[in-house]
Amino acid sequence: MRPLSTLLRKELLATFGSPIGYTVAAVFLLVLGYTFSLTLFATKVGNLTYIFHQMYVLTILLVPALTMRAFAEERRSDTLELLLTAPVGEAWIVLAKFLAVFALVLAMYGGALLYAGVLQAYGSPDWGPIASGYLALVCHAALIVSIGLLMSSLTENQVVAAALTLGTSLMLWFADSASYLLPPPFDVLLINLSLIGHFRPMVTGSVFVSDICYFVSGTLLALFLATRRLAER
Amino acid sequence: MALAPLDLEINRGEVFGLLGPNGSGKTTFIRLLAGYLLPTAGRLEVCGHDAIEAALQARRVIGYVPEAAPVYGHMRVREFLAFMARLRGLAERQIGGAVDRVIVALRLETVANRPAHTLSRGFRQRTAIAQALVHEPELLILDEPTNGLDPRQIIEVRELIRGLAGRHTVLMSSHVLSEVSKTADRVGVLLEGRLRGVRAMAETPDLEAWFLSLA
Repeated sequence: MRPLSTLLRKELLATFGSPIGYTVAAVFLLVLGYTFSLTLFATKVGNLTYIFHQMYVLTILLVPALTMRAFAEERRSDTLELLLTAPVGEAWIVLAKFLAVFALVLAMYGGALLYAGVLQAYGSPDWGPIASGYLALVCHAALIVSIGLLMSSLTENQVVAAALTLGTSLMLWFADSASYLLPPPFDVLLINLSLIGHFRPMVTGSVFVSDICYFVSGTLLALFLATRRLAER
Repeated sequence: MALAPLDLEINRGEVFGLLGPNGSGKTTFIRLLAGYLLPTAGRLEVCGHDAIEAALQARRVIGYVPEAAPVYGHMRVREFLAFMARLRGLAERQIGGAVDRVIVALRLETVANRPAHTLSRGFRQRTAIAQALVHEPELLILDEPTNGLDPRQIIEVRELIRGLAGRHTVLMSSHVLSEVSKTADRVGVLLEGRLRGVRAMAETPDLEAWFLSLA
């Protein structure tokens, strides 16, 4: 575990010390505050379902900016050569980068807890869907961050890494849209690949093990592929 | 295939110079030894460790300085060296002493608390060598260690490498004949991915003539 803690400390310093991290967090909270206020004044309903969907979209749009540097920058500056010739496994390197970006995204989500506090102060929100909505967001963030790391491991161009992450996430989001074009069982396959299809039930308070398994298995698969990519050099 | 089958033994404590023009396979060979590249075939043993089957053990006994002398720019020099020491598995109680030792050995005292991105090329090269020495490796691998340095810095790095002989086995690559002749105990010539010859420098009064006879 010592290599992981050493690498994680370095990654946390780099992620939380980077102007990209602060900019992304500021944009995230600014846009969310704006839409939260608008929604609350317009509907006067004490739930966060709409905000959770906003956070879902913002995560897809902003996380690529956080993950694009992960391996692409290390490749460009040749420091990846230092990491890969040190006596540490590739899995630790990938995991440290994942945990650092994931921690930043969770910190951003933590800032958004203020909105739940506002609802509690001025109304009687149902905390069940709020808790399950946050669980959905955490699962969603883990998957998008891991996809971002995988894409960053494939190229040394940061913009290409960000574009690939965004494109893959959007394809997963809309995967079920094309299901009516395919015969069984491929239509079901596409429906089950859909990101929003597994996110929506949790946001409305219905937590299914299958949905959690989708996010966990997707995250592990992307991290495994990123590790393989590093191991292949 | 970038490298033809290559059989090379480097003696403990010597400075071995790998000489060859650009594109001859020096960096590929060095990256294979350092564990950055994996061989498609063959066997590789580093200080008694199988570099493929027991890659982590082999990497523990190697200190490696890539050609670009990479450092983490956002870290201070001392932090960077401590990070590399931890990564190489030094115990926490040893790290402070090891970092101080290489800072003194590489004459980095004046820049030890500066962010690495502010270093000149010469100090950057010395910092890169320091990170490779912080864990007292048996084998130090230097890829084109004097590339991009000014004449004074070249002399300093050359003296530094000579000073490491005996305590460490040093493998350095270069495409500059004079660098190898002034630094190495033995020299190997690599041309088009093939090791064409190995000689002791003491037996090679005219390195240029020997090199041209092989080319």
